[in-house]
Amino acid sequence: MSDQIELASPPFDSVSSVRFSPSNPSHLLASSWDTTVRFYDVATNEQKSKYDHRAAVLACCFSDATHGYSGGLDTSVRELDLQTEQIKHLGQHADAISCMNYSHDQNTLVTGSWDRTIRFWDPRASNHQTSSHDLPERVYNMDLVKNILVVAMASRLFHIYDIRKMDAVAQTRESSLKFMTRALACMSDGLGFATGSVEGRIAVEYFDPSPQAQEKKYAFKCHRQTINDVDHVWPVNALAFHPVYNTFASAGSDGTVSIWDHKSKKRLRQYPKYNSPVPSIAFNCDGTKLAVGVSYTWEEGEEGAKTAERPAIYIRNVGEEVKPKGWTGS
Amino acid sequence: MAKKKNKQVLRPWCWYCEREFEDEKVLMQHQKAKHFKCNLCPRRLNTAGGLAVHIQQVHKLEPENLPRIENALPGRDGYEVEIFGMEGIPAPDVADYKRRKEIELGLNPGSITQPQSKRPKVENRPLSEDELKAQLEAHKALMGASEAANAPAIPEAASGAVYAAPSQSYAAPPTPAIPPPVMSPPGVPPVMPPGAPPFMPGVPPPGFPGQPPFPLPGMPLPPGMPPPPGFPMPPPFAGSPPPGMLPPGLPGAPPFPPGVRPPFPPPPFLPPGMPGVPLPGMPPPAFSPPPGAPGLPIPPIPGISPPPGMPGAPPAPGQHPAAGPPGAHPPPAQAQHQPASSVPPPPLVLPNPSLAQVNPPFKKGTALKWGDPNFSPEERRSRDPKYYFPPSAASSEGPVPNVSPEEMRGKKRARAEDFL
Repeated sequence: MSDQIELASPPFDSVSSVRFSPSNPSHLLASSWDTTVRFYDVATNEQKSKYDHRAAVLACCFSDATHGYSGGLDTSVRELDLQTEQIKHLGQHADAISCMNYSHDQNTLVTGSWDRTIRFWDPRASNHQTSSHDLPERVYNMDLVKNILVVAMASRLFHIYDIRKMDAVAQTRESSLKFMTRALACMSDGLGFATGSVEGRIAVEYFDPSPQAQEKKYAFKCHRQTINDVDHVWPVNALAFHPVYNTFASAGSDGTVSIWDHKSKKRLRQYPKYNSPVPSIAFNCDGTKLAVGVSYTWEEGEEGAKTAERPAIYIRNVGEEVKPKGWTGS
Repeated sequence: MAKKKNKQVLRPWCWYCEREFEDEKVLMQHQKAKHFKCNLCPRRLNTAGGLAVHIQQVHKLEPENLPRIENALPGRDGYEVEIFGMEGIPAPDVADYKRRKEIELGLNPGSITQPQSKRPKVENRPLSEDELKAQLEAHKALMGASEAANAPAIPEAASGAVYAAPSQSYAAPPTPAIPPPVMSPPGVPPVMPPGAPPFMPGVPPPGFPGQPPFPLPGMPLPPGMPPPPGFPMPPPFAGSPPPGMLPPGLPGAPPFPPGVRPPFPPPPFLPPGMPGVPLPGMPPPAFSPPPGAPGLPIPPIPGISPPPGMPGAPPAPGQHPAAGPPGAHPPPAQAQHQPASSVPPPPLVLPNPSLAQVNPPFKKGTALKWGDPNFSPEERRSRDPKYYFPPSAASSEGPVPNVSPEEMRGKKRARAEDFL
């Protein structure tokens, strides 16, 4: 079996987000700047359906095996029925939607936007939008593990919430990285999270506010290269934790994807470089596959878009490399 | 030359597992990691001999108890052969590998194994006048339409002229401007018998596929003429735009307003190298001039092209200075795809200027690929005219997605066909 496949019908413009189904290891959603969300079966390498939007789509996610959600520059929250291919409009933000997550424990959709709010949605309720929470800055990234919601904002701010008690912020933090937050992912065991910045660096932090736990947090450099004595530093665009082994993958604008063991603080693997930046990655639910979106990420503005490579989505079969050394089962 | 070709065909490979590598450095790293790793300690050795000595001396193992080399093909897991990168591979194995590689790559036997110095010498010889004439005659006879080819191609007769026209346009230059040997791709043995039409095998000259009906002057193309039936369509990206470049006007145009998009997809056979041919009934604004194409300028069409000076977003009065770092986001130089009525996207404004960030300085020379501390690449991108979505459109049209998916889908299909 080859170690990766390329999806046959990738989006026409940059990939913004790839997400796997929570229950089917071969179902994938990919949102794109070409204003579509595409639904793939990666086992058969088939595009099952496509959802057109009015503007670029920045975020998508699954709720269950047959429903997805999407949001983007047109500020509207949509529910995508993956069986009937119907689109249902749930509501709106005041600015572009940058990220979204679905809580399976609470059966609620959480969206984050540049309008400095996060909003909660229940597609079955008559009033779809259940709540809205104001934040000090534009929301860039969110991730959810169990009932803990981490929100990464512009100006390097972080809020941590318990989604059962959204009336108050559980913790407010400033990023331990000195540059703009670009990526965020929560550990599969729910103990902490990792963040990446535009300045090729990843920080690993823990939720437990006790000094002993906080002492363990650390950061390291990655996605860089020294050429002629000049450090070329690329943004870390995406992070994803492995659902079983709790190791994590990072993806950068340098076109590389690396696997890290945050406990032993070691890199387990760096995959061969892709020919374009990697804006988004995702593990599937059983941790056997890694989806890798490959496309231009606007570091050089409009000029760069003209010479950019064709967008692509790769599905990589992951093996032993994502296992920490000496893994004996959790 | 020959050596280079040889290298292109045969990349460094590992004798133990027959994997190929980009270069020898990587190969050596691979061997250290996969084959010369001690399984009793984390030590990695450079060679099999080194590993054997290490295991005997450090781990006190008898020579007869040495573990086999890990991850190796059967028969190659011993310590007898001293391999270092590509050095030390037994000659029979090299020959055998080359032979198998040739078969795999579909090359003629011997094309890797034998020195390649002879072939280019033969091929590079320019053809003599007589030989050229003979080839031309043979070709004309083969085509059987030599006379028709000399008459200018007429669109109505396109299907007939398609095959003849190229011979005209190609064979016309009296001197061999493009000697045939140049066209045969490197590494492919000469399959072209002398006397065959010179342009049949190999790569057609640049600009060849789309040319016949177009560049002839004084030949107005009927508006909306479909591609002639049976016209050999060039593959979408055949060498014309930079790889991965999206066809102009494809996802490039804003997803809105429908009025600007051409009513039908641009003819797929129009090579982007010739944007200057104005087609009646096909408004050019949806085409952005292909980058690097020095072609003729698109004649401005009043009312559609923005007036000069429109494209750079003028700074709004009262704008916070941090919102637009000078030079961080040069105004789009290219004509906007926006309809004439819409205004250029407003600049990004910090919602909370008191939180504005400044990147700390670097200790050593650093090329930071995203230097804007206050706006993400996505925010910048959202203000590009190509992607900009005016807030008014969001509120005024309400929940559109339920209303017009069909219309949108149809449009997308057209685009998709264009793309494919």
